Amino acid sequence: MHLLEIENLTKRFGGLTAVSKVSFDIDEGEIVGLIGPNGAGKTTLFHLLTGFLKPDSGTVKFKGEDVTGLEPHKLVNKGIARTFQVVRPFRHLPTIANVMVALECPRGSKQIEWLKTCQRKAMEMLEDVGLSEMMLEPAENLAHGDLKRLEIARALATEPELLLLDEPFGGLSPIETAYLTHTIERMHLDGRTVIIVEHKLHALMKLAKKVIVLHYGEKIAEGTPEEIAKNKKVIEVYMGKAT
Amino acid sequence: MNLGDKALIEALLLYGAIAGAVYALLALGFTLIYGVAEVVNMAHGALFMLGAYMFFAFSLAPKNPPLWIASPFALESGWALIVAIIAVGIVGSIIYVLVINPVIKDALASIVVTVALAIVFQQAVYIEFGGVHRAVFPFVEGSTTILGVTMTYTKLLAFGASLILFAIISLFIGKSKIGKAMRATAQDREAAMLMGINTTRICMFTMFISASLAALAGILISGSTTQVATPQMWLTPLSMSFAIVILGGLGSIKGTLIGAFIVGYAENAVALYLPGGSFLKGVVALAVMVSVLLIRPKGLFGKRIELEE
Amino acid sequence: MAATYLKRAYSSFLTHVVDVPPRLLSLLFLVLLVCTPVILSPTALSIYFLGVLITANIMAIFAASWDLLVGRAGQISLGHAIFFGIGAYTSALLVRYVGFPLWITIPIGVAVGTAVAVPIGFPCLRVKGPYLALVTMALPLIATGILYYFRDWTGGEQGLVVPRFFPFIENLYQQRVAEYYLTLLVLLISSIILYKIASSKTGIVFVSILDDEVGAKACGINVTKYKLLAFAIGALFASLAGSLQAHLIYLAGPASFSLSLSFYAIIITIFGGIGTIYGAIAASYIIYFLDQYALTMVVKVPTEWHPLIFIVVVIIFVVKWPRGIARFVVEDGLKELSKEREIEERGKRIWKKYKKKKDEKMKASQ
Repeated sequence: MHLLEIENLTKRFGGLTAVSKVSFDIDEGEIVGLIGPNGAGKTTLFHLLTGFLKPDSGTVKFKGEDVTGLEPHKLVNKGIARTFQVVRPFRHLPTIANVMVALECPRGSKQIEWLKTCQRKAMEMLEDVGLSEMMLEPAENLAHGDLKRLEIARALATEPELLLLDEPFGGLSPIETAYLTHTIERMHLDGRTVIIVEHKLHALMKLAKKVIVLHYGEKIAEGTPEEIAKNKKVIEVYMGKAT
Repeated sequence: MNLGDKALIEALLLYGAIAGAVYALLALGFTLIYGVAEVVNMAHGALFMLGAYMFFAFSLAPKNPPLWIASPFALESGWALIVAIIAVGIVGSIIYVLVINPVIKDALASIVVTVALAIVFQQAVYIEFGGVHRAVFPFVEGSTTILGVTMTYTKLLAFGASLILFAIISLFIGKSKIGKAMRATAQDREAAMLMGINTTRICMFTMFISASLAALAGILISGSTTQVATPQMWLTPLSMSFAIVILGGLGSIKGTLIGAFIVGYAENAVALYLPGGSFLKGVVALAVMVSVLLIRPKGLFGKRIELEE
Repeated sequence: MAATYLKRAYSSFLTHVVDVPPRLLSLLFLVLLVCTPVILSPTALSIYFLGVLITANIMAIFAASWDLLVGRAGQISLGHAIFFGIGAYTSALLVRYVGFPLWITIPIGVAVGTAVAVPIGFPCLRVKGPYLALVTMALPLIATGILYYFRDWTGGEQGLVVPRFFPFIENLYQQRVAEYYLTLLVLLISSIILYKIASSKTGIVFVSILDDEVGAKACGINVTKYKLLAFAIGALFASLAGSLQAHLIYLAGPASFSLSLSFYAIIITIFGGIGTIYGAIAASYIIYFLDQYALTMVVKVPTEWHPLIFIVVVIIFVVKWPRGIARFVVEDGLKELSKEREIEERGKRIWKKYKKKKDEKMKASQ
């Protein structure tokens, strides 16, 4: 049984079909890259998988259970977490409180007993991503790279089995990119399954064992990074037709 | 209303049309400032009320001049109308630049501030004119009969003027240079600024139009239909504007027109067919608003899509 | 020059006086409040003064409850008076028609108010921001309409007369003192509870909903549940205030549902600092003092100008300082944590120093 099974997922916005009959399977422990030119429907697909949009047709099965169209918080509590392309921290809360919110949900709070331990757990998570110094800083004062890490810490706080990262490397310096790569590898070692949407193909191809390519809402290719790099259709889509 | 059953339908037809036309103006003002400046102006209904009172004040006989309005002479209805509308328009621009613009980014603050303004206007009017209902006299005497229903000329005037003005303003926004600037600001404020458009001034101008429209609607309604003015009468027009704009769809002028007629008819239907219906006017508007938000948040012709399930 | 000096004095005023009040200051204020009746002598003026303070106590509860709902959970409710009115009328109706004694009517009033929050909250969940504001503004109006419709039961415009809270005390002054202490006690308990909730994990979740609902959902938070909870808690204390008020002014009238009442909560809360909870309480006294004393007796401003002045000041406040809520959030809980960390860090530094010295000694002895 696959961890995640998607079948014929479709979403239309008026006349525009953002996601069209996309199907693929993800197994436990994989790191999967989801790539495609801008507007291919990658983020929309994420919204569909995490309950922020309801599909027009198609099914999503998580661990064999049909979870199509469930509300976001229910999916999180089943073990699917995500980050956002444009970071959405809780601006008024201190950094540590951002993580504490995630620990408050039913799934997150299973790891904690009382308030003090919640704070300790949150502190640990911040240390994991290297943000422990800014613990008490209001999130709105953090730099962009730090906010990206905070997003990930927040997602990890819900103890997900499947983690969807939307352009996590966006706007990061080379050092931060290396650090994040390391963090994702650690997640992989922890046994988590990760789907990464990313434009920085260099960083992505190093991490992912399987890559899925979307174009105008349709899946046009699936395979290992090497296969995808050689795939004619993919090259056409990214580079334009060869004359 | 004692018209006999058959006449009720004709009355509904006609009164609903008038209401629709005037509400269209009111809602147009509301949706304009929302589209251009992204401001939900909770004081829109208060500007409506202010318009009615200004008209009342400017058309008073010389022996009862309001204290601090420097008009010791009674104006003829036509002039009183124009002065009142311009005065409220200016008030609108002033409150925009002084109060609304500074807090435009903070949602809670802008709501609190605009509601506070509404209450300021209510209190000011209450202090100046007292809480007693003030009679607003229709500006054109006489009436005629259409389809067996008595229609005052004022009502007909209100209907015609509203539709004409609506058309004029829609054309203005569509064709003129300023209209283009308004549309640009509405689409993307920062981009408009980069194009050299002074967005603050454009917003002030939009606010002038918005407030004037609200004031005109206030004068037309109180002059033709309700014939009273009270300090508290800002909540109902506000609910009305909300309901119409949500029903018609945010950002759509066509939707505003259609939504206005639907709400106008609904309101009159309730008033005519239900006992004690006139109190329920505000409730009708709210009911429409809540139902639209629950069933189809985009409204009829809405344009903005939000990321929520 | 004078301008710079004023500016500096002003910012110093802001940071030292307007900022988080030190515990000592709050304690002093509390002591003052408790001792006030002892200082006063039984004159007519004192009776009036105590009456003002009693109202300030009740409005403080009301404002603090609004602060939690709006300042912390971000549910912009402009019709909070509806819960106040429900509390007031429920108690009044129970006393009048069922003859319950006072110590039963108030809890029941509170229970009804809280229970009503759920059906009221539901439609409010689907609408946000300005739409929520408008819908909540209309709620008390609908309640007033119902009130007038059933005027035979509810007394219409006159409202219902309610017996005194301490009917066995004959002396008016002593009665006021008793009422004052009662309301002060309820205020203390309520404010502690509200503040505790605001600083708890639930309070943190409330702020997350205020900041970003989508993000909160992505953290697994059932936003609907928490919104309803916020409404229920706000309603609980608002209806408590309403029930108390009914028994203390001996009347439950349509004014309990008025928009100006809802707006009083807003004025008080913004003065005190929206979201701070304790700010609302402090501001309640300040506002009432200003309203009743300064404006009425000292400067002699006609009554109808009072709300206007306050509202204008509110507008100026909001425009000048659309205050963020960053300052106060989860302070208490985090203070302990940061103290712990400080101790840890200090320990680590001491250990490092010690190790360094040890290593140096070892090197030297080699």
